[in-house]
Amino acid sequence: MEDVQVVAMLVRRCIAGDSAAWEEIVQTYSRRIYNICYRFAGSGDDAQDLTQEVFIKMYRTLPSYDHTKGAFVTWVTTITRNLLVDHFRKGKQDRMTDSMDTSASDHEDAQPLSEQIPDQSAPPDAHVRSREVSETVHAALAKLSPELREAVILRDLQDMDYKEIAVVLKVPEGTVKSRINRGRAELARLLQRTYRQVM
Amino acid sequence: MPDQTSNGMRCNEFELLLTDAIDGVLTGTGLDRFQAHARVCRTCGPLLAEAEAGRNWLKGLTEVEPPASLVMNILASTTGVDTQRLRVNARATQPRISWWEHVQASLFGSVLEPIWATVRQPRFAMSFGMAFFALSVGLTVAGVKPADLREVSLRPAAIRHAYYNAHARVVRKLDNVKAVYEVQAALREVKRNLAPVETAPQQSRPAKPKDDKNDTTQQPEQKQERNYSQIDDHLILASAPLGPSPSADDLPVVSVTTYRRFV
Repeated sequence: MEDVQVVAMLVRRCIAGDSAAWEEIVQTYSRRIYNICYRFAGSGDDAQDLTQEVFIKMYRTLPSYDHTKGAFVTWVTTITRNLLVDHFRKGKQDRMTDSMDTSASDHEDAQPLSEQIPDQSAPPDAHVRSREVSETVHAALAKLSPELREAVILRDLQDMDYKEIAVVLKVPEGTVKSRINRGRAELARLLQRTYRQVM
Repeated sequence: MPDQTSNGMRCNEFELLLTDAIDGVLTGTGLDRFQAHARVCRTCGPLLAEAEAGRNWLKGLTEVEPPASLVMNILASTTGVDTQRLRVNARATQPRISWWEHVQASLFGSVLEPIWATVRQPRFAMSFGMAFFALSVGLTVAGVKPADLREVSLRPAAIRHAYYNAHARVVRKLDNVKAVYEVQAALREVKRNLAPVETAPQQSRPAKPKDDKNDTTQQPEQKQERNYSQIDDHLILASAPLGPSPSADDLPVVSVTTYRRFV
């Protein structure tokens, strides 16, 4: 993942005022943070703004990082996650929490969320890596509740282990696993229903 | 999830092992019990399938490429550093465009594109076609042939020579016209001298009375009548004159006044 000593040295140089060290940190972690923000926020513009905010916060709180307490990437991801949650609460973008089959609207005739996903014209096995499918999965991911979404993003998209995710999310490891399972299942249910309608 | 027991495994235990099973770290008797429970449990079996499917969907998502200016913006917003090196890097990521392509793009985008859009309109094409047709007909009538144009020399000396020739031709023509006018003027002078002296004017018009205020004839003012008659769609008063007449026999017996529409 990362060489702890190298990163610790980099952080020390950065705290000492070495702008090249800070630039190296930005170059190294901007892509990762941008992807987390993009998958969580759903749009590129929001992801860009949030990534900048993460680095501003990181730049201000860099002296508080202690390499003996955890990996730098975990610390960075924790900052990112906290900022995303703040952003989510501020924007009041609360999504559906548990069931994707319930309607997002109060109207009786409103379509369930699974039916609001754009239809696809091919079976999933044939175009699983196509751009359209990626957009569909991305849209379905955005429909998950924040707790489930952040768990599956960190596990399946960022390849973090359960302990690191538990540290970032500040919940027990069992809860992390439960959220990951539920998030995956909800996503699959949503997408399978979409494709079944087409077929 | 219901707390259901099947094959010695409870559903909550199954859920805890679900991630390990999907990650492939569950082995041995634990895996056997897990699979046995998934086969018989109507809740956990579909959950395993859905979780596996969801993981596959998410693994299909690729990393997105952040904007090229992201790092530069971050550095500018944190340290205020906007280094030249970063600008060079950002420029290096963009494809190189030659100056000719740049000129072409700017010229076509800003100048030629609107003109081309206008030219493509059918009415403009029709007008252009008509103009071309009229020009070709005019040239044909004038006797200009395209084959003649081949013999035209475009050397500067030849162009200068052609210009002087045309200028001399125009000057000669103007001189000729001037001579013709002078001859015509001389002829008119001779005619005027040879013609007999004209007779005196036949009759001069009666002088207009100088003071109309002293007129007591009761006749309407002629100017007023003239004004009436000059205007269309106005009634003209036709009546016998009330002033002194040449003879007493001509006096009307009955004075009739009619209105006539002047058509």
